[in-house]
Amino acid sequence: MADIIQIVVLGLALGGVYALMGSGLSLVFGVMRIVNLAHPSLIMGGAYVAYWGFRLYGVDPLIALPVAAIILAATGVLLYKLIFEREAKSAKYSEMTVLLTFAIAMIVEGGLATAFTNTQRVTSPGYATDAFFIGSVFIPKGQLYAGMVSLALIAALALFLKYSRFGYAIRATTQNREAAELMGVNVNMVGLVSFAIGIGLAGAAGALVSFVFSFFPSKHWEWVAVLMSLVVLGGMGSILGTVVAAYVLSVLAAFVGYFFGATWSVLTFYLALFVVLLVRPQGLFGEKPEMA
Amino acid sequence: MRLRGLLAGSACIALAGTAALAEIKIGASLPLTGAFSIAGTKHQQGYELCVDLINEGGGIMGEQVDLIVSDNRSDPATAINQYERFINVDGVDAVFGTFSSRLSFPVANILARNGYVHPVPAGGALRIYTQGHQNLFYFQPNAAEYIGVSLTGMIADLIDEGSRPQTAAVVAADDFFANAVEAGFLGTEVIDPADGSVVEDMAPGYLAEAGIEVVYSEKWPEEGFNDWLNLANSIKRSEADLIIALTASAEEAVQLTRALQTVRAEPMMVYYSQGTQAEFYEGTGDASESILMHTSWHPSAPYNGELNGEPFSNQDFVDAFSEAYGAEPDEDSAIPFAVCQGIEQAIRGAGTTDNAAMGEWLYARTADEPVRTILGRFSWDSRGLPIDKPFLIAQWNGGELQFVYPTDEFPEVSELSHPKDGF
Repeated sequence: MADIIQIVVLGLALGGVYALMGSGLSLVFGVMRIVNLAHPSLIMGGAYVAYWGFRLYGVDPLIALPVAAIILAATGVLLYKLIFEREAKSAKYSEMTVLLTFAIAMIVEGGLATAFTNTQRVTSPGYATDAFFIGSVFIPKGQLYAGMVSLALIAALALFLKYSRFGYAIRATTQNREAAELMGVNVNMVGLVSFAIGIGLAGAAGALVSFVFSFFPSKHWEWVAVLMSLVVLGGMGSILGTVVAAYVLSVLAAFVGYFFGATWSVLTFYLALFVVLLVRPQGLFGEKPEMA
Repeated sequence: MRLRGLLAGSACIALAGTAALAEIKIGASLPLTGAFSIAGTKHQQGYELCVDLINEGGGIMGEQVDLIVSDNRSDPATAINQYERFINVDGVDAVFGTFSSRLSFPVANILARNGYVHPVPAGGALRIYTQGHQNLFYFQPNAAEYIGVSLTGMIADLIDEGSRPQTAAVVAADDFFANAVEAGFLGTEVIDPADGSVVEDMAPGYLAEAGIEVVYSEKWPEEGFNDWLNLANSIKRSEADLIIALTASAEEAVQLTRALQTVRAEPMMVYYSQGTQAEFYEGTGDASESILMHTSWHPSAPYNGELNGEPFSNQDFVDAFSEAYGAEPDEDSAIPFAVCQGIEQAIRGAGTTDNAAMGEWLYARTADEPVRTILGRFSWDSRGLPIDKPFLIAQWNGGELQFVYPTDEFPEVSELSHPKDGF
């Protein structure tokens, strides 16, 4: 029984980090229909902010998190104004964004490698390699704290979307962009703010990643498939779905790894992706697209 | 007369131009991005430093060396394409090898088919050397399958019988190199995937020979694995005295070490296949204490090599590297430097950039007439594997990577720290 509890604990601990990593991606897709393949590379950007804050000034990554989020959000504003805004009305917008964000990912990776070299990095606050022990079950402090911060940020985002006036506008735009615009919503501003929040969440996730995993500029490619699996399973554009998917898949992967071997645990994410696309393409919380 | 003078002048200019353009082109495809980018970037530094020093010294036989480096993105197909381009488009005179067994294996076929000497900096899997190629020269001590004998040899030679590990957990990345090292430890057959033939049967395995029982073994996928805590917990629960972790990169070694620290594993001994780099210590700190690993190079090893036809010691390399890059080198830069030394000596020795002649010269090396590098002396058997060259066993102690075994290789050997006191 202790083994089962331990597996669930480790799965949940990892799920919390994945949840924040995927939330920004989901938000950006939901509002802007941007399939942001550059999202993991921007997470790397946030990780580097936290790393250098810790390395140079001894700033705890959790303290550096808002700074990373703001820097990356500003980067998001820049990217949106330079690249995405002008193409927003294109009929092929979503398809174009796949290529555009792929290119951005390459540029970000190259920029990070040039600035910080390809050397692996990791921040090492004391809690990153410590754990609470309850009997024979342990709870890793680093992942626990990361998960708690993730949930707090996601809850704040959910409250903002549900209760703020601008949150209404974002949700309206997510549900029907044309209708929202006809009702007087400034969809361009909504797009800009949503994109900035989404990329800001990538920056925040990066600060957490910096002490949970080691990283280097090319590492983001390993995250793309995992994050896409979460977003597709949850339902493209559904933040709640992404969070649930992150926890479900992480726990499932932990069980698969325990019972069938570590090799298979990674495949859990890809298998889930295939199954969801075959059985319920709209994901757990997504809406079924209407037939033309 | 005036016309004759003009013609003579033109001829002189043309000749001078030819002399100025004379150069030796060398191509190297490296993983500068992607999964192997950390080691690939260091390989680039090693190659470039060596070529710069050669050129500063007047080049090879009066010709400057032009090094062409391409990023293969850690992708085997791209590496193949780039070596084909070096040969067929750039017309390179020689090549330097790439990083990792995964990339070196497919590249070996291309270079063999085109008759190029293939100096391998990182490609220890035995099956690379059993394809019948006559152009391979490995610049590390031995094939990966044989690495385990250094660890068990160290245990037998340096640890009292009552203090030796009795049980082991062997975990490995599902990677070309890590699988090869694992085959030696566990005593499995090395299979050629092309025809299913047995390249070598490693039974009973170095651990069995040493009387160490394997109580846990596990593999993780080559890329995308993040569940280190679960793996570390399983290792801990096995209560193995010895943890053997065969990672595909130093980054994985950092991840696993931090996870083992988190779960408070308490093995008697820990051995890694990667982790000699400074960033391993940066990522693991005190948890690295007493961790063992094999290495092909050590900064304090008193090797005397050659460069530009003159003595060039390991210390010269350390000094030159520190001056050029403002950082201490590690083996990922030292090994490619040795590759470059080998090719330079082959061209000088053969007196030509004809690869057949260079290959003959390299194969003719002996213990008394070796290639002399900062990794020591090299001569090769018919497969291209070095003869009589032991791996070094190093250990992290107090933030310093100390050389602990074999004890008869150098005069100054640090004392083995045993047993390990937790993470």
